[in-house]
Amino acid sequence: MNHPILDPRVAPPFPVAALPVLRNPQLRKNVAHATDVIQAKRARLVAEKTDWQALRDSGAAIRDHVLDNLAHYLEQFEERCTAAGGVVHWARDAAEARSIVLNILREEQASEVIKIKTMTSAEIQLNPFLVENGIAPHETDLAEIILQLGQDEPSHIVVPALHVNRSQVRDIFAKTMGLPDLSDDPQALTAAARTYLRKMFLTVPTAISGANFLIAETGSVVVIESEGNGRMCLTLPRTMITLAGIEKVLPRYQDLEVMLQVLARSATGERMNPYTSVWTGVTPGDGPQRFHVVLLDNGRSGILRSSRERQTLRCIRCAACMNACPVYRQTGGHAYGSVYPGPIGAILTPQLMELEYAQSLPYASSLCGACYEVCPVKINIPEILIDLRAAVTDREREEERRFFDPMYVGLRMANKIFASASRFRAAQRLARLALRPFTGKDGWIRSLPGYASRWTMSRDLRGVPRQTFREWWAERDGKAVR
Amino acid sequence: MSSSVNARAAIFDRIRAATSAVPAEIPTTHAGLPRNYRRNGQMSANARVALLIERLREYDAEVTECAPDEIVQAIARVIEASGRRVLVAPPGLPAGWLVPACNWKTDNHLTHDEIECAQGVVTGATCAIAESGTIVLHHTPAEGRRVLSLLPDWHLCVLRAAQVVESLPEYFDGCGTPPALVTFISGPSATADIEMTRIKGVHGPRFLSVLIVRDLGTTRPGAASGAKGAQ
Repeated sequence: MNHPILDPRVAPPFPVAALPVLRNPQLRKNVAHATDVIQAKRARLVAEKTDWQALRDSGAAIRDHVLDNLAHYLEQFEERCTAAGGVVHWARDAAEARSIVLNILREEQASEVIKIKTMTSAEIQLNPFLVENGIAPHETDLAEIILQLGQDEPSHIVVPALHVNRSQVRDIFAKTMGLPDLSDDPQALTAAARTYLRKMFLTVPTAISGANFLIAETGSVVVIESEGNGRMCLTLPRTMITLAGIEKVLPRYQDLEVMLQVLARSATGERMNPYTSVWTGVTPGDGPQRFHVVLLDNGRSGILRSSRERQTLRCIRCAACMNACPVYRQTGGHAYGSVYPGPIGAILTPQLMELEYAQSLPYASSLCGACYEVCPVKINIPEILIDLRAAVTDREREEERRFFDPMYVGLRMANKIFASASRFRAAQRLARLALRPFTGKDGWIRSLPGYASRWTMSRDLRGVPRQTFREWWAERDGKAVR
Repeated sequence: MSSSVNARAAIFDRIRAATSAVPAEIPTTHAGLPRNYRRNGQMSANARVALLIERLREYDAEVTECAPDEIVQAIARVIEASGRRVLVAPPGLPAGWLVPACNWKTDNHLTHDEIECAQGVVTGATCAIAESGTIVLHHTPAEGRRVLSLLPDWHLCVLRAAQVVESLPEYFDGCGTPPALVTFISGPSATADIEMTRIKGVHGPRFLSVLIVRDLGTTRPGAASGAKGAQ
């Protein structure tokens, strides 16, 4: 299989990228299994929460409140984090964020760095950049190790290697860790990863993390994880660099009472994830004594402009929407050509790209609404998908190269035809005549020539009836059609 | 550095252009956000502790209970049963808890390697949340620095029944001034990254034991009283 491309600027459109996956039964089986397991666990734990809908309402309200007042809360976070000994950096785009991180690493004279899983780092393609600049990034989350050692890319935002099964993991570890006798028992594979990383945790003095939340009230950062690799990276190194999107702020520490109740249940189907860490700047004698936060815009502030699209930034990255999505469950994550796959990716990626790229993603949905139903912060994803489809169409219509695109030619014609009753009647008659040779005895069209064959390739079409409604009505009244 | 200053200004300009916040109203708006979820539990103190024990056991944590006047003997028994002898202790752990027959290293600037060599750690806790089986550490002197409850393979956490609350909002209500460091622990470290099979014990302690001191009837449950009690 080809190496997946997760850069929306160069990735093929969704329908093209989805094809190899749809033809790969092993991959589809892996994705279906993982999403089924998480969905079943999530459903059970959500059902036992009698106040689930109230938690969703509060989750949405808190996130909206932050986004409405983002400048205020970011200023507050910066002030409090700085007062606690942290250094806050601002990055307009991916390139700026990468160079800030590189400069800090150079000051630290780092030749390697340990990393906690961060989608933001994948978004700015930090790892390849560090490698180019002579710094070795070591992922420490089990799934991220599988991907890094297997030279693969994440296909899910919570369980990034869910498309890889145990025997594939075994092969990757056996080869890269030099363990030819390794079994494919997940217990043995996990133990191998523990041994592989232990020394790294104790010796590499610089670490990079993402952030699940930033707390404006205190200047604290929150990281939510399961394995303890996060806690290792947060406590053992000398220097910590946290990379976070500007939308990650929460007003107060207490607001975590909502987020921590909905996040693990939605993400992994657990009442609570094993470890959640909160830290504030630098604490003498405990953990890294140098702490940097890089706050990344990279298209986010543009999404704030429309109050409807603003919902997109409520996202707390639980991935419930992709587990529930009938499209994602068939195609897996790589088809989305972005580190953010699934329904949230289908609305987030095109907006981060200001619709210059990833225009096919708003169409990668059946608009069934399952994503909206499971979203713990009630992002109305179908509504935004429709808005984005409209925006994509508006843009395309204006493009000169699309002037002869059959779809737009057809739409322009339809526009003319629907504008006049006589033209409409003429068109009906014409269609009746033109389609007659292709219509079967049972009134169905099974195959059309040329461009129209794209429709009949996958579905039949009702033939045009012998009479229109108006013709029938007129005949019934015994009058001739004008 | 100047590029970062420019970046900051540019980002704030874009945010302010896209939003129309009135700073003076923000605290009121925040206070008025809907919060109709469950705040206070309805369980009796005993039911609360029973639920916590059930949840901890679901996470494969080992749970023991003891009466308040038996703490030291109970700690000795749990350690004895664990078969571990080389232990680290946070500096604020009550001296009596450092039971004999063990090689204790109290954390007065222990190195990472020294902590890594220990077979286990004994700490207090600030609070426990029954509903999710969560132990909350504020890293007080009795709970130790973060690395102390991380590197050793076994964590014995001593918890008083009066520190147990039913739901997460109750912890936050009792929390007071937000602490600088917090760790929420829900069972031993785990992963489900390979085929969604839950594997216990990745990088954090692979074994978690909780000793619950049955001190109910003496103290009102509450998170804030917890840290003091453990010291």
